Amino acid sequence: MFAAENGLKGDPRLEAISDAIRVIPHFPKPGIMFQDITPLFLNHKVFKDTVDIFVERYRDMAISVVAGIEARGFMFAPCIALAIGAKFVPLRKRGKLPGKVISEAYELEYGKDCLEMHVGAVQQGEKAVVIDDLVATGGTISAAIKLLECVGAEVVECACVIGVPELIKAENRLNGKALYMLVEPNEVQGCC
Amino acid sequence: MNALSQPPPLKISEAKIVSSLRISVFTKPDFFTPNTAPPSRSDPLIYSRFTGGATVPERRRMSGAAMATSNVDATDDRIARIASTIRVIPDFPKPGILFQDITTLLLDPKAFKDTIDLFVERYKDKNINVIAGIEARGFIFGPPIALAIGAKFVPMRKPKKLPGEVISEEYSLEYGTDIMEMHVGAVQPGENAVIVDDLIATGGTLNAAISLLGRVGVTVVECACVIELKELKGREKLGDNPLFVLVSET
Repeated sequence: MFAAENGLKGDPRLEAISDAIRVIPHFPKPGIMFQDITPLFLNHKVFKDTVDIFVERYRDMAISVVAGIEARGFMFAPCIALAIGAKFVPLRKRGKLPGKVISEAYELEYGKDCLEMHVGAVQQGEKAVVIDDLVATGGTISAAIKLLECVGAEVVECACVIGVPELIKAENRLNGKALYMLVEPNEVQGCC
Repeated sequence: MNALSQPPPLKISEAKIVSSLRISVFTKPDFFTPNTAPPSRSDPLIYSRFTGGATVPERRRMSGAAMATSNVDATDDRIARIASTIRVIPDFPKPGILFQDITTLLLDPKAFKDTIDLFVERYKDKNINVIAGIEARGFIFGPPIALAIGAKFVPMRKPKKLPGEVISEEYSLEYGTDIMEMHVGAVQPGENAVIVDDLIATGGTLNAAISLLGRVGVTVVECACVIELKELKGREKLGDNPLFVLVSET
């Protein structure tokens, strides 16, 4: 669901967030219109507003775990965790987390990848949210949901700055979990 | 006169931070006080350093005396708690390495908040425009610090991760080289930056980040890490560039 349809209709913060995202055509390969969130972090007010919107939503939901997906999820999730007093749990690519981990494979357009979480980071019964910068097919986030559910946590919601609703719906990988999105992808201005 | 031969404007702010830096390195609890205010610009010792007069060690001694009267207790508890949450994983990523794992720190909301607070207390109101965070664990600590002090956050990434125009810096590893990249236009000449990472080992990665920022005219005021591995002498590798850490592991 989009924030604008969920209590934030007309919220000027959302427009500023959308304006802060730049589109890089043909990255990482031809045909992909990459949604680059790095300019968002160059504008302190927009960055703060982005975090505030998530914090306002989750602060009274008894969330004890904010999981962030490597690497762009790391730029948002810890800020949210700190503000709501939850722990931050990094979900990482294969081989990055030291010590005991659990793994979940997921499909890419070509091939597979793997997401890992530390054993013992999350306890049974904890309420969690999963954060990433962008959700398209939902492959990565569905792996994240599985990892958390595997250890008995309740994934209350997933959240991202940019959501591609057509792809999310088509792929249907979220297994009924709600996804809270701030903005849609931007189009490239003009011709390229 | 060639612009390059002028003394870089950063010297004054470097002197400010270096003096409080020495106090703040966590070697013994009673010498740690990140809340010590850096000396003001009117302090004659800064200008003497600038003109080649009083040296940094003198500054350190003077600041040590001033610091003995400051309140270190609250800070002590915070540092002790932070240090206690870091776990060591032997033989990762390869045999012989004792890996300092900060993920357990992140599972303790108070320790994580204290970690950020200690950096924020140091850098707030010091005219820091940029927090540069090194992929990937620098992305965990950098943004909360940037948010709290009103600075922008700039990710320093592995090659081919940043879309659009980048500048690159190649640096040496134990075997071979790696590349660090930053977006063109993310930072402006004259801005003041602090580079953040979870840990300093040999200092190679931090040095690459310092170079990248320096090449576009940014002043690197300090590097800030949660952990320093003293044996690997990263601090020496940074040379004149100040380093601030919370926990020093030997």
